[in-house]
This record gives sequence, C-alpha cells and structure tokens, in this order.
Amino acid sequence: MDIMFFIFLSSGLFLGWSLGANDAANIFGTAVGSRMLKFRTAALIASVFIILGAVYAGSGASQTLGKLGTVNALPGAFMVALAAAVSIYWMSASGLPVSTSQAIVGAIIGWNLYSGKPTDISTFNVIASTWIICPVLSAVFAFFTYFAVRGLLRHAHIHLLRQDCYVRIGLIIIAAFGGYALGANNIANVMGVFVESSPFHDVNYHGFLLNGTQILFLIGALAICIGVLTYSHKTIRTIGNSLMSITPAVAWIVVFSQSLVLFLFASASLEHFLSARGLPTLPLVPVSSSQAVIGAILGVGIAKGGRNINWTILGKIGIGWIATPLIAALLCFISLFFLENVFNQTVYLP
Amino acid sequence: MFNFKISLFSNTKKLEGKIDAFHDKVIDAAMTFNKAIRTFLEQQRSDEFKKINKQIKQIEHDADKLRRDIENNLYTHNLIPDLRADVLELVENIDRIINRFDEVSYKFYIERPEIPHIYHSRIINLVEQVCECAENMSIASRSCFRDFSLVRDYSQKVYFLEHESDIIFGHLKEAIFDSDIPLANKLQLSSLIEEIADIADLAEDCVDELLIFAIKRDI
Repeated sequence: MDIMFFIFLSSGLFLGWSLGANDAANIFGTAVGSRMLKFRTAALIASVFIILGAVYAGSGASQTLGKLGTVNALPGAFMVALAAAVSIYWMSASGLPVSTSQAIVGAIIGWNLYSGKPTDISTFNVIASTWIICPVLSAVFAFFTYFAVRGLLRHAHIHLLRQDCYVRIGLIIIAAFGGYALGANNIANVMGVFVESSPFHDVNYHGFLLNGTQILFLIGALAICIGVLTYSHKTIRTIGNSLMSITPAVAWIVVFSQSLVLFLFASASLEHFLSARGLPTLPLVPVSSSQAVIGAILGVGIAKGGRNINWTILGKIGIGWIATPLIAALLCFISLFFLENVFNQTVYLP
Repeated sequence: MFNFKISLFSNTKKLEGKIDAFHDKVIDAAMTFNKAIRTFLEQQRSDEFKKINKQIKQIEHDADKLRRDIENNLYTHNLIPDLRADVLELVENIDRIINRFDEVSYKFYIERPEIPHIYHSRIINLVEQVCECAENMSIASRSCFRDFSLVRDYSQKVYFLEHESDIIFGHLKEAIFDSDIPLANKLQLSSLIEEIADIADLAEDCVDELLIFAIKRDI
C-alpha cells in the first residue's frame, strides 16, 4: 500500500484525534468531573463503542457529505481535513463552541469552489438545516426527559444511595450509547473526504467481513479513541468545573438527549423504517455533539423555569454557524492553491 | 460488570441500613432522655436513673460507631460524590444532638441539682418539646434520603416546636430568677434548662441544613 496515502491521511487522523479529545467530554465529561465514573472506565467503554458505531453505522452520514462534494484526489482530501482541523483550533482558541461538522462542510465547499465543481445546494440546505434542528431537537428531548426522570425519582421514593447506584449504571450505559452515536455520526467528519480515494479492499477474516470504507472508518475511529484516551481528560478538567453545577442525574439527561440526536442523524435503519411507513425522515448528516449538548442543557434549563440560562451562549452558537464554515472554506481554498502551485500536488481530478 | 453491580448494590444496601439505624438512635436518645429527666425529677439519682443514664451513653456510643461507619463507607466506596459533603455534615450535626442528650443527662447525674417541685411540670414540658423537636428532625432527615417532599412538612414542625421550647425556656428562666432559692441554685438550674433548650436549637440548625440539602437533592 502506498505510504503517501497514510501521509495524506494524517490530517484526517489529526482531525479524528482532536474530535476524540474534545467531544469525549460531551459524552462522559460530567460523569468523570463529578467523580461518578472513573476516567479510565468511561474512556474505555466510550472508545469501544465509538469504534463499533463508526464501523457499523458510519456510512449513512458519510454519504450525505459525499453528495455535497466528492473530494476525488488524495492531496485535496488531505487539505480539506487539515483546513477543517485548523479552523476548529482557531475557533476553540477564540472560545466559540465549534462544530467539526460545520468546519468540514465549509472545507468541502472551499474545495468545490477551488475545483470548480458545483455545490449541491439542496444537500447544503439539508445539512445547514440540521445545524438548527440538532440543538433544538436536543433541547426538546432534554426538556421532556427531565420531567420524566424528575417525576420518576419523586414518585418512586428511591433511597438517595440507591439512586446514586442507578445513575452510575445509567451513566455507564449512556457512555456506551453516546460513544456509539458519536462514532456513527461523526466518523463522516473525520474520514468522509477520504472515502473516494481510499485504497482499502474488502477483508474477510474468519467470516468477519469488513468493506474498504469500514476499514477506513476503523482507522479514523482509532484516531478518535487515541484522542479520547490521551487528551480528553484535560478537556474534561477544563470543562468539568463549568459543568459541576449539573447534578449526575441531569448529566445523564443531557448525554442521553445529545446521544439520541446524534443517533437519529446517523441511523440508516431508522430512516428506512420511517420512510417505509411514509413518515418524515431525518437526514443522515454529521452534527455537532457540542451544540447538541448545549441544546440539551438549555432544554433542562427551560424545564427548570428558565433560571440560570446563559443566553449569550446561543449568540456564540449563531456566530459559529456563520464563522466556522466561512473560515474553513476560505482556509481550504487558499491552502489548495498553495498545495497545487507550490507543492505541485493534484488536488482534484477533472 | 455483573460483579460490579452486585457489590455496588450490596454496599449500598448495608449503608442504607446504617443510615436508618443512625436516625433510629436520635429517636432512641430523645425518648430515653425524656425518661431519664422524668425519673430524676421523681427519684433523684436513683439506681433507675443511673440505669437510664447508662442507656443513653450506650446509644451515644452506638451512634458514634454508626457515624464513623457511614463516613468511612461513603468515602471508601466513593458513594454520592456530589452530595457526600452535605451528608457528612448532616450526620455530624445529628450526632451532636445525640451527644448533647448524653451530656445533659450526665450533667444531671453529676451535679444532682435540687429542683423545687413547682418547676417540675414546666421542665417536663420543656423536655417533651425538645425531644419531640429532635424526633421530628430525625424523621425529616430520614425522609430527605427517601422522599424529600416530606422534609418541608417535618421541618415546619421542628421550627414550631423549637419556638415553643424557647418560650417555655424563657418563662422558666424568668420564674427561677424571680424565686427565693439561692443564687447558686438559680444559676445551676438556669444553665441546665438552657442546655436542654439548646438541643432544640441544634435540631433547628440541622433542619436549616436539610432544607438546602433537599433542594440540592432534587435534580
């Protein structure tokens, strides 16, 4: 296999690593921060399920990104992923809630503009609509789940210690579900642009069948897991303090709502189920877990009577919706120019 | 995973039992204290009083052991990390009430105060209010662990009883200092009834803490 592929894949792996380092905090940050779960336990469970989600359910969201723009040359894919990763770094450094999905969409549009390929506006509209639907849906789920859980806890008269046990087990289960949903939904951000130039073939190991895309996603998922295992504890330590006012039960509600949203936007089987019954379906699109978490926290805040809600965060999300894809597109466009003209790389095939 | 669940639940169940037993000790201490003061007023330092005094000491000793077990278990098994500090403070404060029952009873045993008969009924009344106050605090605290919606109801009772005991204490102290008994006796009696009334104040402090705890405990 060409070593150049892995060199070009490095930007995607870096993007995966940063996604793991940042977004793992959304899945089990509060559980670890509030000492309900050990970091090692949570990280290990989430990592295993990120891999499962990415390999077995990651293709749906990836196909939608492909419709937006099929990055058909490996150096081009390298630059798309790198532009997205650098945009995320800049946005994070500016303290804005950044979305990997928005960055990669912006970078793909940058590649489309540079290569002169048309951007599928209807696909873009579908993706852009999810940037609003995702936090709103997460807020709605959190709002109703909050009342359900509160009603259950108030009426079941469970002893505080036993409740602590149940919440702990719930957080373990939700770390697994959250990991699966994150892997399934966000692997498209990390590896989606490399699908077209992937050199991998189908592998059948003792009846264990993986196609080329799944192998690519497996490598991407491993990069995410390395991010989770090596760096997410630092993110959790930073974010953990600001989330400490959230009780473990509310943390469960937030992660559940966020994971459910990510799962709904990644589940091809659910889409088939709904479309077969003539029901409206959700597009299979990679969405931002950070924005889903913010939506869920707002949902709980509204359910509690709207007190202590930091409305400025909504303004920041709004800025992120516009700034992230714009920065990524611009950065990708300029970088592709340099890659093609200075380093003589083929960044797109006509 | 399965073993983890089993051990987590068995530890929890044991600790639940200890917390319940600890709350039982407050009620035991209050009822025994009530009995001890009545016995002292009737029989002075009789064998019966000595026996009851020993019972309170034993209750206090058992409560201390339970408190230490609860504290150790909460930390060793890393239970309720978000509310652990509040539970520990609550347990410490409840233990202070049990200690005070023991201390006051022991003071009666050591000092053998001479209490004129005219004050007996009012002292009994004060002791009853204080004991009821402590018992209601214990029930409020117990409900905070299971059904925290009841905390408010029992807290209200504690506030009422504490206020009543303050009034009885005030009138009694006034009556003591208006009487013709020697000043040394007046001061001794005043100090003793003040210590009895203080138990209700301690219960009130616990309830203040419980109400905050109940808010934190809600999700």
